[in-house]
Amino acid sequence: MTAELTTPQRTPAITAPLKSGRKRRVPLGKSLVALILIAICASTIFPLVWLILTSLRKQNTIFNGPFIPQHITFQAYPEAWSATDFGRHFANSAVITSATVLGVLVLSTLAGYAFAKLRFPFKNLIYVILLATLMMPATALIIPLYLELKKLGLLDSQVGLILLYVSGSAPFSMFLMRAFFETLPDELVQAARLDGAGEFTIFWRVILPLARPGIAVVVIFQFLSTWNEFLYANTVLQNTGSLPLQPVLFTLIGQYQTNWPLLTAGLTMAIVPVILVYVWMQRQFVAGLTLGAVKN
Amino acid sequence: MVPTVVLFALFVGGPILYAIGLSFTDWRGFGAATFTGSANYTRMFGDPVAQRAFVVTILYAVVMTVLQTIIPLVVAVLVDFVWNGLSVVVRTILFIPAVVSFVVSGVLWKLIYDPNIGTLNQMLKTIGLGQFAQPWLSNPATVLPSILVVSLWGALGLNMLIFFAGIQGVDPTLYEAAQVDGASKIQQFFYITIPGLRVITAIVVALNLMNGFKVFDIIYVMTGGGPSHASDVFGTYLYTLAFGSTSGSVPQLGYASAFSVVVMVLCGLAVLFQVGLSRRADR
Repeated sequence: MTAELTTPQRTPAITAPLKSGRKRRVPLGKSLVALILIAICASTIFPLVWLILTSLRKQNTIFNGPFIPQHITFQAYPEAWSATDFGRHFANSAVITSATVLGVLVLSTLAGYAFAKLRFPFKNLIYVILLATLMMPATALIIPLYLELKKLGLLDSQVGLILLYVSGSAPFSMFLMRAFFETLPDELVQAARLDGAGEFTIFWRVILPLARPGIAVVVIFQFLSTWNEFLYANTVLQNTGSLPLQPVLFTLIGQYQTNWPLLTAGLTMAIVPVILVYVWMQRQFVAGLTLGAVKN
Repeated sequence: MVPTVVLFALFVGGPILYAIGLSFTDWRGFGAATFTGSANYTRMFGDPVAQRAFVVTILYAVVMTVLQTIIPLVVAVLVDFVWNGLSVVVRTILFIPAVVSFVVSGVLWKLIYDPNIGTLNQMLKTIGLGQFAQPWLSNPATVLPSILVVSLWGALGLNMLIFFAGIQGVDPTLYEAAQVDGASKIQQFFYITIPGLRVITAIVVALNLMNGFKVFDIIYVMTGGGPSHASDVFGTYLYTLAFGSTSGSVPQLGYASAFSVVVMVLCGLAVLFQVGLSRRADR
């Protein structure tokens, strides 16, 4: 019976003998639960399947026609690509996201290391202040940030937006990196110091290579949140040419209210790369997001 | 280290103080700001839209927190219960909406909810429930539940995984002991699983409360706060006050900042709530 509750992995010794005894009975409970879960999964995935199917329909068959289109056409994709200037905004998103990820990575590994392994004045005070503001919502900061960028002349520039992203998310990633660095033994640093290595060499040669799993989490978490960010991007940038994808997708619905194949093709193009990356690096994604959520 | 602190001071710490300062003025984005004391806060109490946004924000946050705690917890237990292979597939699928941006999911669901040609109404008509078909997002009675469904869809997988990870940490010998004592599955759920997940639950509750208080994207994309403020929350209302000069009105940055401060306070309370809960759970 234990086998029903705990997965076999967890208590192999106990489950093994019980399992053979249980085989005679049909695991009715499990089958029932499996059915429920399959139903939940089906309803979760349904909107996305619908999205893709709609994008493959002909414009005149969206509103009647059966659920699965009889005639599949990819016609809407090139249309959506050129109508939205998709390539350009995709490139904008890619540039803004990579710059942000890079910036956050540099700042958070350096600061995380400093907090984990070095001693300096006011260390705890600074740390607590950084932590206390982690939960500041974007909506609460958007007005002063907007005014500040305006004053600095960085409004309507991607540099300004990247600055906001980096400074807004660096403390959180630093927090993650510090937690990660703290699991590395102090002896490592001390041994390197005895060998005459400078602080930066220790960091670059000894600590960073060991911190790869932590870095992966930070990169993925940062990639996803920057790629999907909407509020700052929509507020700070006004020149259409420099906009990343999200604000552009938002304006689509106003422009192409009834051209659903085009609309859904645009949305599909925007999410497919992200979903592919997710399926490809699923483990890191899940670790990054759940950890991100919990630590937040 | 130093650059982090500098950037942080410039773009996070500073703005917090700036927002608090602004909230005591009548600044409109140009000209001189006049110190008006607590006028903005007094105005908030007399502003029917603000009152409504307050109720909607709290309601949204609380309802979402309750749903987003109970449903993911139950699903996590179910996922833990079934065969390993299926469990992996289910976890993968349920998590997919979490990687889709709010803009995409908002627009997608807007199409599904469309009153004339939306899939939801079409489906209701097909299965003979046509009388329930309605303009989901422009009916004040259905707009909030409709948005809640989208939020739940988006975050179920994430919350479920947090609980799932927590369940893996519950001591398995407790279940074995309960089994020996003849406890049913339901009893085990209430007397072992739930107490074992107290800390995790506190985190999920605080997380969802905070996300509820600061909700913006999904509502802004789907309804913009409409119809006639029925789905306006603090986030969308302050954004409209400050930036949404569609009606040609002057941006009211001072007044909007007062809402920023209220959102900060609410989120702060959620954090304190979490710290308090996990302290109690630790004992």
